[in-house]
Amino acid sequence: MLEDRLLVWKCKHGSKDAFCRIYEKYRDDLLRLAISLLNEADIAEDVVHDAFTSFIQNANHFQLTGNLKSYLATCVANRARNANRVYHRRNNPGLDTSAQASDSNRPEKWIICSDEFRQLNKALAQLPYDQRETVILRAQGGMKFRQIAKSQSVPIKTVQSRYRIGLDKLRSLLNSEVTK
Amino acid sequence: MNTQENIEKLIKNAVIHSNPNVNKAVLKEFLQQFDNVETQKPAVTQPKIRRTIMKSPITKLAAAAVIIALVVLGLFEFIGTESTSGVVWAEVARKVEASRGLIVRRKESIPPSEDDYSIIYNSPRHCRTDFYKDGQITRTCYKDFTGSDTDALIDVFHLRKHYLVTKYKKAGLNGVFPEQHEGAMNPELLVQTILSGKHRKLAQKTIEGVLCEGIETTDPACMSPIPEYCDRLDVLLRLWVSAETGYPVLFERKISVEYKGEVGESESVMDQFQWDVELDPSIFEPNIPTDYERVERPGVVGL
Repeated sequence: MLEDRLLVWKCKHGSKDAFCRIYEKYRDDLLRLAISLLNEADIAEDVVHDAFTSFIQNANHFQLTGNLKSYLATCVANRARNANRVYHRRNNPGLDTSAQASDSNRPEKWIICSDEFRQLNKALAQLPYDQRETVILRAQGGMKFRQIAKSQSVPIKTVQSRYRIGLDKLRSLLNSEVTK
Repeated sequence: MNTQENIEKLIKNAVIHSNPNVNKAVLKEFLQQFDNVETQKPAVTQPKIRRTIMKSPITKLAAAAVIIALVVLGLFEFIGTESTSGVVWAEVARKVEASRGLIVRRKESIPPSEDDYSIIYNSPRHCRTDFYKDGQITRTCYKDFTGSDTDALIDVFHLRKHYLVTKYKKAGLNGVFPEQHEGAMNPELLVQTILSGKHRKLAQKTIEGVLCEGIETTDPACMSPIPEYCDRLDVLLRLWVSAETGYPVLFERKISVEYKGEVGESESVMDQFQWDVELDPSIFEPNIPTDYERVERPGVVGL
């Protein structure tokens, strides 16, 4: 926490080394978050790329009031939500159900997923986006319900219920996979 | 069967890997962006502020009042008054950095030191510290910063009649904070250290007959890098500079670190500064009596 505040402070004062440290520290977590939310590697990579770009562009005015990891996770979640909306409009039914975390056709892969991760993502992709986002931000991003509620602009009780219902669905989806 | 807890664990522990080659390429691109942002000015900020001010008559009046006050203050500064500050801190930093050589006394009160005080002789490429107890030199420490990759440290313990040779990597902590290698108490970095954090100016004070102006900070960011094992860090750095010469005359430092309930404290003072002195290069050549035993630490030590 203290290290993050220092890194942000150094970044604001033009330290590239501090930015490198932030990038190294949170890159994989953010990629994991994005691929879980979008289940589409290309778009997930773009989202993380955009989040870091935005951080660089706003570093001069950036004020860290809480946790840097949560801040970056919220940036990724907001961008993923927008990307999902755009994709959904253009290619109905979109990223939600049909897309796979496929990376076989990409020339240079940034994200390398294990089979277990793909399996989990396949189940996550069947949840409605709001529930999926809540479950991922909470269980994977370690964010508090209060932070997720703020990020999604909904009451905290809605977030808690999305989380509960999302986990229940996920459990039945994964259990049915096991029994097949 | 998966329970809710298992599902949470499954999501939490699911890992992905990133391609190291792409990581490097992307980072390179980010660093280029970083350079571009550094050189760009935020063009949209000014019109936005002006529009906000001019929208409301109250803010318009308030802005006018501020501008008048600034003009009046600016005139006072231009004309000159008795109470005007004589110290320009950026100038102090520049003078300190440009100093050819420095002699200073340092006292550590907490934790209690084996020595009464030490005298530091500092030049841009070398440093020598003599530690005194009851008026006798007990230890001499020579630092040589002339190496390309490593810095050499020779510690001569006069009471034990032995000396230790150590080589340190120049850039510690993966190169993030290499400047720290020269030590947080490096006199030439004092001004920069305080100015690097949130700081405030202090009222004038006379120290040993010299009229001084002070500056202090309690911002832990000044002490970066913060040690990994640290839950709390309280810092107080205070620097007094001669209003006449613009050189530091007194530096006070108090630090309190807490980790897992254990508290470590340190308190030190630097005074008797002699700035921009021509130091004889021979004082930096290790003077080790022939009967002293050499103890060498193997390899190179990183921070």
